[in-house]
Amino acid sequence: MADPKKPRPAFAPWDRRELPGAFDVEETARRVGNYKWVEMRLFEALGGWVATVPELDVKMRLGTHCYKHAWHSELWHKRLPELREMNPERLTLPANSAVEEFMEAITEPEGEDRTLEKLVGVYRVLIPHKIAAYTYHLNNTSTITDAPTIRSLKLILNDEFEDWRDGEMMIQSLIETEEEARRAADRQAQLESILVRAGGIAGPGSIGMPAPEEVTA
Amino acid sequence: MKRHLRVDDLARDSRFVRLPLEARFNDPRPQGSRSSSGRSGGRRLTPDRPGAPDGARALMHGIFVGEIQALEGAGRTCYDFDTGAGADDVPFQLKLDMARQCWDEARHCEISVKLSEWMGTEIGEFAESTFLFEAACNPDPVLRLTGVNRALEGLAIDVFNAMRDFGDLAGDPVLEFCEDWMLADEVTHVRMGSDWLRRLTEADPERRQRALEFQSIVDKLFSGGGFRGEEEDSPIRLARRFRQLAGFTDAEIDSISEGSRQARREAEAARQRAAAKAAG
Repeated sequence: MADPKKPRPAFAPWDRRELPGAFDVEETARRVGNYKWVEMRLFEALGGWVATVPELDVKMRLGTHCYKHAWHSELWHKRLPELREMNPERLTLPANSAVEEFMEAITEPEGEDRTLEKLVGVYRVLIPHKIAAYTYHLNNTSTITDAPTIRSLKLILNDEFEDWRDGEMMIQSLIETEEEARRAADRQAQLESILVRAGGIAGPGSIGMPAPEEVTA
Repeated sequence: MKRHLRVDDLARDSRFVRLPLEARFNDPRPQGSRSSSGRSGGRRLTPDRPGAPDGARALMHGIFVGEIQALEGAGRTCYDFDTGAGADDVPFQLKLDMARQCWDEARHCEISVKLSEWMGTEIGEFAESTFLFEAACNPDPVLRLTGVNRALEGLAIDVFNAMRDFGDLAGDPVLEFCEDWMLADEVTHVRMGSDWLRRLTEADPERRQRALEFQSIVDKLFSGGGFRGEEEDSPIRLARRFRQLAGFTDAEIDSISEGSRQARREAEAARQRAAAKAAG
């Protein structure tokens, strides 16, 4: 065994974490508030949809996923005061009006014949965008100063990947005709176009790239 | 999506058959869980009573559809109200609790489907009534929570306890194991209802009174004919210990018990009147 009194480096050779990060405290709080707002709207919608989908397996999965996103919103809610925002409601906001419009559009389908539209909106548009934004945040924040956010992001991303796979498999099992495949694609395109305007779930820069209008300006 | 879904809008696949509660009680098959006698005591559901397998299967099917509606009701409470401190709003933490309940009820649906197969029944073999979701349609979130989480989830405590005992008596460790797990979740749900009732009505005793009256109405409905009570031969016995864990006071449990005794006396009197009338 090594001599316990022998000086060792504070960071072991395999620990490559660094101080610099792309986000200061204020920007991190803004993003976290945006994430919380999206997670809240999502878990509320999933809960509301449970009663409106006739497919038993989908009904039960939505109930399970509802809780996961509620838990994500709780993680972000608890992170806000740690980022100097003592009134978490103040930053629990959509990143911009297009994000708000997007979430309105996602939750619009209601009838029991519209399970496909409900699932496509969540699992082919929103969750992939959440994975993208969370991954960008994870890979660019300071690995030392922002460790609590990283921990939450990793836990949440694990859920997101699982739910994405669940949702995609439900969608594939529901699509039985070419017309239904087009229905799914149309719905996806409609919602994607709103998110293009929004710049992602946390607004322009959600995945680091500037919004299209910023590029052309 | 609109808020406050109507009961008629609950979405089901083609296997489900929906009937009013009174029509369901006219189904002769589940009598093993209700009226006929077994050696081990009166009307209680025991493995040795005539029709016990059908009775247990019917009860399991009833649990399954009840779990679906509990899932749907908790989900709607996540969606139907704004988050906030107003009288028509609900706190963020309450929504988180309801989302947690969604997950629990979804698991209970999964467990119930598996147990139903295990017990030899299938979805749609027995009818569904929508009483649970009706309580979950109350526009006042406090009344909704009290009616669902205290009255109906309280009933679920009693039912799961009875089914767990049935599994034990029948030598069915799978049934006993699963019911015990679901019982643990239901105690949590009832405790949520008790906590939120207290917190949301702390400064509004009138609202608390209205909520408790609503709970009493729902409780009475499900004590029909003394089906659930503390008598030795009650088909479903009040699970006093678990109700205490879930935040019920002794006085509240006594009140439910007395309501059940009264319902039983009324049902017996009605039966005697009907018999006398039939005899001419």
